[in-house]
Amino acid sequence: MNARTPQEDVKIRVGYKALPGQKGDRLEERTVKPAAGDAPPWDAMTQFALVGSDVDRVDGLAKASGRAKYSYDVTFPGMLQAMILRSPVPRGKLTALELDEAARMPGVQAVVALKEVGNKVRFVGDAIAAVAGVNLHAVRDAIERIRAEYDREEHNVDYLVADDAPMVDEKGAISEDWPADEGMTAALLEAKVTHDATYRVEVQTHSSLETHGGVARWTGNDLEVWLSTQATFGCRGELARALQGKKIDVGSVTIHSEFVGGGFGSKFGAGIEGLALCLLAHAAKAPVKLMLDRFEEHTTTGNRPGALMQARGGVDAEGRIVAWDWRSFGHAGFSASGGSVAVPNYYTADAKVRRNHKDLAIDADPPRPMRAPGHPQGWFGAELFLDELAAKAGVDPLTFRLNNDREQIRQDQWRFAAERFGWAAARARANEPGARLLRGVGLSSARWGNLGNPGRPAHGITCRIHQDGTVETRSGAQEPGVGTKTMLSVITAEELGVDLKLVKATVGHTGDPSGPASGGSTVTPSLAPAARHAAFLAKQQLCELVAKHLGVPAANVTCAGGLVGLGKEQLRWAEACKLIGPNPIDVRGQRFANYDSKPFHGSQCGVQMAEVEIDSWTGFVRVTRMFGIQDCGLVIARKLAESQVLGAMIQGVSYALHEQRIMDKRSGRMLNGDFLRYKITGVRDLPELECHMHSIANGHDSVGAAGLGEPPSVASAAAIANAVFHALRAPVRHLPITPDKVLKALAQKG
Amino acid sequence: MTVPPDPGVSRRSFLKGSAVAGVATTGIAAVAPAAPAGPTTFGPGEHEIALQINGKERQVKVETRTTLLDALRDGLDLTGAKKVCDRGACGGCTVLVDGATVTSCMTLAMDAVGAEITTIESLSDGDAVHPLVQNFVHCDAMQCGFCTPGMVMSSLSCLQRRGKPTVAQMQQDLSGNLCRCGTYGRVMQAIQRTAQGGGK
Repeated sequence: MNARTPQEDVKIRVGYKALPGQKGDRLEERTVKPAAGDAPPWDAMTQFALVGSDVDRVDGLAKASGRAKYSYDVTFPGMLQAMILRSPVPRGKLTALELDEAARMPGVQAVVALKEVGNKVRFVGDAIAAVAGVNLHAVRDAIERIRAEYDREEHNVDYLVADDAPMVDEKGAISEDWPADEGMTAALLEAKVTHDATYRVEVQTHSSLETHGGVARWTGNDLEVWLSTQATFGCRGELARALQGKKIDVGSVTIHSEFVGGGFGSKFGAGIEGLALCLLAHAAKAPVKLMLDRFEEHTTTGNRPGALMQARGGVDAEGRIVAWDWRSFGHAGFSASGGSVAVPNYYTADAKVRRNHKDLAIDADPPRPMRAPGHPQGWFGAELFLDELAAKAGVDPLTFRLNNDREQIRQDQWRFAAERFGWAAARARANEPGARLLRGVGLSSARWGNLGNPGRPAHGITCRIHQDGTVETRSGAQEPGVGTKTMLSVITAEELGVDLKLVKATVGHTGDPSGPASGGSTVTPSLAPAARHAAFLAKQQLCELVAKHLGVPAANVTCAGGLVGLGKEQLRWAEACKLIGPNPIDVRGQRFANYDSKPFHGSQCGVQMAEVEIDSWTGFVRVTRMFGIQDCGLVIARKLAESQVLGAMIQGVSYALHEQRIMDKRSGRMLNGDFLRYKITGVRDLPELECHMHSIANGHDSVGAAGLGEPPSVASAAAIANAVFHALRAPVRHLPITPDKVLKALAQKG
Repeated sequence: MTVPPDPGVSRRSFLKGSAVAGVATTGIAAVAPAAPAGPTTFGPGEHEIALQINGKERQVKVETRTTLLDALRDGLDLTGAKKVCDRGACGGCTVLVDGATVTSCMTLAMDAVGAEITTIESLSDGDAVHPLVQNFVHCDAMQCGFCTPGMVMSSLSCLQRRGKPTVAQMQQDLSGNLCRCGTYGRVMQAIQRTAQGGGK
């Protein structure tokens, strides 16, 4: 069966079986045409040996034992340490830069300028120069001896007073008229109930625990860089180009990134620290390590932008949304881009809809993508607006969603979540008059719309089967903690029908086949089919060897359950592999294009519910429990997939209640650029968490997997904000929901 | 179970003259010529000290301002303990000093002379792995893994001090360890599974 390559049409079943407690499978038939030579598609009916089971993370022991070597941990004999001198000026021009005294300091081996005199300085933390020396003490001492002078210009780090900022009243609401639109005016006039409100979110930093940076080592003109990155191939290209631009003779550039201590969207580029590292190693003729410190991490490596958002809309007598008007203003840095906001589009199919967004420039570090870029911001504003509108219309928020949500998958998810969470009872429970502790529950939808792509040119995976029976699966893409190695191992072992222990996955070296950047939840859906194709090809070669050995036709040989052969003539896997000889079976699988036919669903749906307990004396909010149901495509490694969903919910608690970059307007400097004053959720803030993995066969490619970086990150903060609204009977329209805002909301309610 | 007394290893104790003289006799090979009496001085520059790490004596060159974390990572290639905040705010660098958790980024290497230092590296030797580490893997109590060694060390101390800790006790003992990926729930599951004898 292995040699049969399906080029003809194949009928598959897509969709999902009824959720527990619900009736009716949502299964449909699709006809797909796999590419010539690709593995036959898995679908909703496929029985798996390993896929979807509770396997352990394959590199879990390396991480939990401290043996895993992150870029920060890489060391070489004679390796130097390095640091960057940062601008204390938020806006201006570099007028003098003298490096000689620093270069003469004991232990210093190289000093490079990263800006030239006359260059603009764009924010506090802009890179000026870098120093490499025998240890960080020597480097720090030398950095202090660099003389840099600046012409200072007037600066602004508050987007609400930027040139294009809208007028805002004393309550923080946008007070400028909506731009004229006759259709919108008419739709609002027809509505039975209307509402208009302004929402606001603050800047959040990615706060990856491993900071940006790495180790560079030149051998002649060949460069190797161990880099903490989410995009090995992107960084390879970026560094090669930048070094050529500096007239440095570059032979080869190889990036290594086996373990990455988090990225969350901030680590797509090698950045100025990556370039500085390579320049210093070149100048010093020695390996150099440069890792940012925590303040640099908070202030120079991007952020989730803040936003000011205004919504107005209305519902008809049946509770259907008939008008949806939205405008938002993004808190961008000096680049004046990246501040955009996304909002749900599935509630407003029949409504008059308008959306506008504008980014406002300030003199600070620009935004970078962060887990579901634009989504947690916009969903917070939109879903809280919907709850306020529903409250005005006298409709329960869940009923309101069921009336307006056009996605069948989410209709099932809403009902399932309500049942599991105990929505109706929790929502009906009233707080005792005069009670100190106020409870409330809230909900939010989620969506993410990316199910992977073939890449240009196509992404690949190497699969090798060795004569000792071990199997390698290799990708040059990186893994910032999501479980890519486990995913590759499980897919490979499933396709070959072998024990997971025989498979060794390696990622993160650009000598291996290309793969996508870890962005948009694309790595798993993009690479899983390529890994499967590679294993499928390797299996065919092994079957041919076994067929020859047994004297049977290769087309009929099967490879499953640790046996290779035909009928009663079966070789154990280990015996079959001995036929391979000293050179392994070594094939490259490919990520083919997604199937032409319409997938079951082109995006991922989710629903989350949250319960909060608020101390009305102190204003302190505690999230007591959360439930999430998440469309996960085909679940490949259950425990790891759950970890990602639960982790996203905890990050949502952090975004809803804690995180906020605070800038000093006078100096332009971040005031809380450390983990003492920039609070991320700790173990004591942990709610009771539960998630349900909603496995859906999407019929997208031969595997049908989905990534889980983005999808579960969209809803959490919105659900918590809605729970706070329910508990207080007054909305807090500004994240993070800190005690001062809660007390103010209570006081205004009276 | 009772909480052991503070072993007294901190920057503060280093500042007391008597403490410096005390540690000088227990393993610091001073580069300065031996003075007949009075306190020994160190620096500027490096000198060699001996640290008791995971039951073995290790020689390492440090300056007086070198932290225990830098001595472990840069001097001895013990890179399990991570440098995350370098300010004692996140617990990523947690090791045990005389059985109690310390943030090694806030401990001077010289202050740890004479104390028994236990790092994450002591919890596995080839295939022989401490049940707690095994349970971190079983419960998938990690994602990116960068906070994990520190989490394991704080969890180990929690188990050693409390035996079968309650949720409140675990939260108390892990409250100094930050995780960005959001693994807290599973870390506590790993501790509980270890307390119940799992992972052996």
